[in-house]
Amino acid sequence: MNISLPPLVALLLFPGGLVLLISGLVYEYADRKLVARYQNRIGPRWFQPLADMIKLLAKEEVIPTGVIKGLFIFLPIVALTAILTAALYVPMFGFKPAYSFSGDLIVTVYLLSLMTLCIGLAGANTEDRFSLVGATRALTQMFSYEAPFLFALLGPAIALGTWNIGTINAAAGQNLWFIIAQPLGFLAALIGLMGKLELSPFDAPEAETEIVAGALTEYSGRGLALFRIGRDVELVIGLTLVASFFLGGLGSPLDFLWKTLILLLVTAALQSLFARLRIDQTVGLWWRWGSILILAQLILIVIGRFVGPFIPFLGRG
Amino acid sequence: MTIGSMLGDIVNSFIKKPVTEKYPFVRSETPEDFRGKVVFDAETCTGCGLCVKDCPSKALELFTVDKANKKFVMLYRVDRCTYCAQCEVSCRSKSISLSDDQWELAATSLKPFEVYYGREEDVKYVLDQAAQTAAGASEETEKE
Amino acid sequence: MGSEKKPEKFVVSIGPQHPALKEPGHFEFGVEGEIVTSATARLGFVHRGMEKGTESRTWVQNLYLMERVCGICSHVHAMAYAQGVEKLAHVEVPPRARAIRELIAELERIHSHLLWLGVAAHEGGFDTLFMLSWRDRETVMDLLESITGNRVNYSANVLGGVKIDIDEAKISAIHKGMDFLEERTRHYMKVVTEDETFLGRTRNIGSMSLDLALRLGAVGPTARASGVTYDVRVDSPYAAYADFPIKVVTDTAGDLEARFVVRIKELYESFRVIRELIDHMPASELTTRIPRRMPEGEVVSRVEAPRGELFYYLKSNGSDMPERIKVRTPSLCNWGSVLSTAVGHKLADMPMILAGIDPCFSCNDRMVLVNQDNNLSTWSWEDLRQYGIEYYK
Repeated sequence: MNISLPPLVALLLFPGGLVLLISGLVYEYADRKLVARYQNRIGPRWFQPLADMIKLLAKEEVIPTGVIKGLFIFLPIVALTAILTAALYVPMFGFKPAYSFSGDLIVTVYLLSLMTLCIGLAGANTEDRFSLVGATRALTQMFSYEAPFLFALLGPAIALGTWNIGTINAAAGQNLWFIIAQPLGFLAALIGLMGKLELSPFDAPEAETEIVAGALTEYSGRGLALFRIGRDVELVIGLTLVASFFLGGLGSPLDFLWKTLILLLVTAALQSLFARLRIDQTVGLWWRWGSILILAQLILIVIGRFVGPFIPFLGRG
Repeated sequence: MTIGSMLGDIVNSFIKKPVTEKYPFVRSETPEDFRGKVVFDAETCTGCGLCVKDCPSKALELFTVDKANKKFVMLYRVDRCTYCAQCEVSCRSKSISLSDDQWELAATSLKPFEVYYGREEDVKYVLDQAAQTAAGASEETEKE
Repeated sequence: MGSEKKPEKFVVSIGPQHPALKEPGHFEFGVEGEIVTSATARLGFVHRGMEKGTESRTWVQNLYLMERVCGICSHVHAMAYAQGVEKLAHVEVPPRARAIRELIAELERIHSHLLWLGVAAHEGGFDTLFMLSWRDRETVMDLLESITGNRVNYSANVLGGVKIDIDEAKISAIHKGMDFLEERTRHYMKVVTEDETFLGRTRNIGSMSLDLALRLGAVGPTARASGVTYDVRVDSPYAAYADFPIKVVTDTAGDLEARFVVRIKELYESFRVIRELIDHMPASELTTRIPRRMPEGEVVSRVEAPRGELFYYLKSNGSDMPERIKVRTPSLCNWGSVLSTAVGHKLADMPMILAGIDPCFSCNDRMVLVNQDNNLSTWSWEDLRQYGIEYYK
């Protein structure tokens, strides 16, 4: 679908801004509900994430002693801003990205990891033990999954010869879906997304039974609300990216809906299937298996680029 | 050595109805021998007072209105009761039983949650007496 | 700020309020990176003065007070107390009452072990196992509710017997429940011994050797997982355990996985003995008469709680109230094993190691003085008072 919107509307209302925030809440609800159903529970009511958010926003923000105040207030805003900016380059809701230039894939991925960086800094900013341990873990985890996740997204980009998300999105639908052409890449991207969002079993940075809420332990009120909604929006953007790259592109809102929901169904199942990995296990998993798999995939793609014309299954798909 | 050995479980749970009980909306059945609110039958009571003596939480109080005619009133402090059923065991005349369907017993006001068991006129008599002693006590304090 | 101070150890303190702890306790772990280098515990946040409280209540009233020492193993506490009082009074409990006591005790063990399975899984971040094992635990909770009339404080005991009976309908319900639970438990056994991600959190974590277990005086499944062949139910049978015996379940590994295996195998034993009990329930009275004033004397009563050996000391001065009651709960004996096995593990393993002994914090509301060297010392009431004043200054 190709609609060009005035820039201010694109930024504040649609696809950025308000609609994005609401969709973040909706996807958080869907995720929680799915995990609950996998565990034979009822799960939250539909307005629960919204109610949480309103409650947090209305509450007093406690600024603990020993923090750099400016940084403490500033970090959640930076995190949310980065995430909302990233949305502008992604085909949200199946529409053409609001902005795009030739290398926007790399920019988007880095904007997405700014969230983790902010959380790590936020944790390191406070004097709380749990926050410090959580920050260390969050940053350690970032260094382990970031490379495989980027490589996984580069798979389709290399195969199609463009690093522009919009072009990849449009081209992905016309070829064989990349989930079939590059199954290892899809797996790495999906699990990398879960690592990015610190969903269980990769939730060591915020493991509540060990370090309470990890890096965000000292956050309350508005700051916590911004971080949380940022994480929710990141979930939507991440799902959109993976769906548009590997599930044959997003051509319409309907496409967006069913493809991201199927991805959510899978990630929710993965969330409820495993015990939490220790941080050393997470790092080990990525560097021992994830990176090898993704390198194998990349080599296959490069070979496919050369022999592609003879075997239609590889490379360009 | 397997990974994701609960896959069957989560698929099953996903298909099945959630087991969460919707309690305040749907009230589930309690078993026959459930220990709920204490029910006292003043007609058969002999006034031995063993229930009061044995109650571990001092939830029971027995007023003797007329010993010869076996007129007794039981004050049952619901908010103190631990539902252990010792009074039921101790009672020789089987005047005490624990209800199996009255178990939603939260107090809704700040006043003590109390129930008086007995014949209507006896309860009235006991209440009047209590009011009188209370009034007397307050008068005394005023004098001081 | 920190540069002026001399470099001190990075201490992560857990508790008294912490999501991993459902009850208050305080732990300080010195860490280097993620590795724990020292561990200390402070207990006693939930001191309720129950032992003192017993001295101003009658023997009958105390039965219900002691039942509330622990919320999870309420029946064994009441049973241990009742057995002690019956021993004091030289009263023999009828066989059917003894069998019913054993039946409730084993049902309670099932509920307690399933609860622990869920809690331990939750500490390890395996919430699906937590939710589903607690879902299945509802079966045994419902059974206990229909038999005794309450889900938690069963109040099945009275001094001199039991106040509840088992009929045909209940027997068939128990059979059905046991069949369902056995099938589910066998599945969970498979999950905890085969699932790779979960094994990564339990295998070779918190290992305790047989020597260490004996030296620290560990009890219950925690000790049996290290190869200690000790179970009060077998070594000193009470209730109906002489007629309906159980087999001691042990393991040699001593790690968290072994504790899972031992507890789940104990569940199998419980299923078996419950079936035997309800099929061959002896017929007799349910209670005997027991005096209200206990003869002068002192007794010791021991039972095997789900967490290990539970010890009661009762002293009577001939009145209708006890002179002294001393309770030693199993959780208290196992703390040493937590603190000594924690060192060298990762911080992430701490909740699992803590949960590994199935701790019950409210059971620990007493003072413990650990004597490193062997000189004995006696503390008088005045000493204790002085210590308390100094401590809280």
